[in-house]
Amino acid sequence: MNWLRCALSSSVGKKFLMAITGLALCGFLVVHLAGNLLLFAGAEAYNAYAHKLHDNEDLLHVAETGLALIFFTHLYLAFKLSAENRIARGRGYAESQSKRENLISKVRPETWMLVTGLGLLAYMLLHLADFTLEFRDTSHYEGLEPFDKAVSLLTDPISVVGYLAGFAFLFAHLSHGISSAFQSLGLNHPKYNAVIKWGGLGFALALALGNASLVFWAQGQ
Amino acid sequence: MSGQGMNLTLRVWRQAGSEDKGEFRFYQLNNVSEHMSFLEMLDVLNERLIKLGEEPVAFDHDCREGICGMCSLMINGQAHGPDNETTTCQLHMRRFRDGDTITIEPWRAKAFPIIRDLVVDRTSFDRVISAGGYVSVNAGNAPDANCLPVPKQDQEKAMDAAACIGCGACVAACKNASAMLFTSAKVSQMAVLPQGKPERARRVLNMVAQMDEEGFGSCTNTSECEAACPAGISVDNIARLNREYLKAVVFSDEGV
Repeated sequence: MNWLRCALSSSVGKKFLMAITGLALCGFLVVHLAGNLLLFAGAEAYNAYAHKLHDNEDLLHVAETGLALIFFTHLYLAFKLSAENRIARGRGYAESQSKRENLISKVRPETWMLVTGLGLLAYMLLHLADFTLEFRDTSHYEGLEPFDKAVSLLTDPISVVGYLAGFAFLFAHLSHGISSAFQSLGLNHPKYNAVIKWGGLGFALALALGNASLVFWAQGQ
Repeated sequence: MSGQGMNLTLRVWRQAGSEDKGEFRFYQLNNVSEHMSFLEMLDVLNERLIKLGEEPVAFDHDCREGICGMCSLMINGQAHGPDNETTTCQLHMRRFRDGDTITIEPWRAKAFPIIRDLVVDRTSFDRVISAGGYVSVNAGNAPDANCLPVPKQDQEKAMDAAACIGCGACVAACKNASAMLFTSAKVSQMAVLPQGKPERARRVLNMVAQMDEEGFGSCTNTSECEAACPAGISVDNIARLNREYLKAVVFSDEGV
């Protein structure tokens, strides 16, 4: 299996893994959001979903392990590639300007991927601390059903600010991440390039707005 | 030349040798004609420096008609200056205004070490080519014309990729100093033609391995290379290299 190790440790191979794990994490986000959108359907539906999910504890652990593996691969490669890329430049320029035309914005998300990724990581740690690890004050939702726990957490001021910032990072990260992943996988063709570009942007926006809608909805509960 | 020329302040990177620390030095250049090319402007600067008994600024150049790929220069933070699909030698001073300060830096990349002032060593590109950027053909009689049909679209793709002059602007403009646009152009020009097919798997694997060994960064798909490229090489070639690489790893007999 030397050939596989060789391939995956090359620059192209690492970008490949980055793309695959990134898209897989997007897949998780879709499923996660789809489940959480049941909050709109009311307490009964959401609680039934939450209980059903946690009934399969073993299966859940397998899924969580897989997810963690994908996540840490993405994270590890992000740091490794960034460090390598910094070394590859060496001494930087005193001045630097883009020559790209038709830029959508002066702020180019593709140059901020590590920063937006770290922002996402910070959001994720807060989110895990809230829901899974219950690190913060749990007194106001102790013994409540999942629906009420979710509403209670989503109205917590720290969570509201942290989550909305997290979704902004998510949009920025994916606005480049999706189309970049397709390019890294070699999926580029005049027939569907526009679909990848605008579809990726739309997907990023839909995920961010979908998640944000839950936070706004919770304020009215 | 007629009328009053421009007065410019040049902020030029000076470095006596590869081990030297290097620094920016300022030069005032007056009465610069707008019809000069950027390199002619530097020639004028150097003539003046020589007259003053100072070391002239070393910079790479050869054909001065945009095809050899020798000229380089990061001008105000842009590879080959502000114009698209233009090399530094084809850039004219009319693109600048009287009173401008122009910052001139060498390409910056670990794989392009500075030799002196604005001259960098780009032989890393040659080693990437040596690793597989060729087609092995046995010598003999020329084959009959048209015995190897090539669709027109493929010819055009190969020709577009072959337009690469190997100047290194892609590496210079990339925030990761990645050579993916260069390498992908060299892989593509052969991968799309029948003559290049027999060696395509070995070619892409070896060229990418050499590219990594030279210390170039990896591609984050920012497309800065495409915008900086004086030959208009498209990032579509990078996607093609990625496909070629994947195919070579998964389906070819290389590396078994």
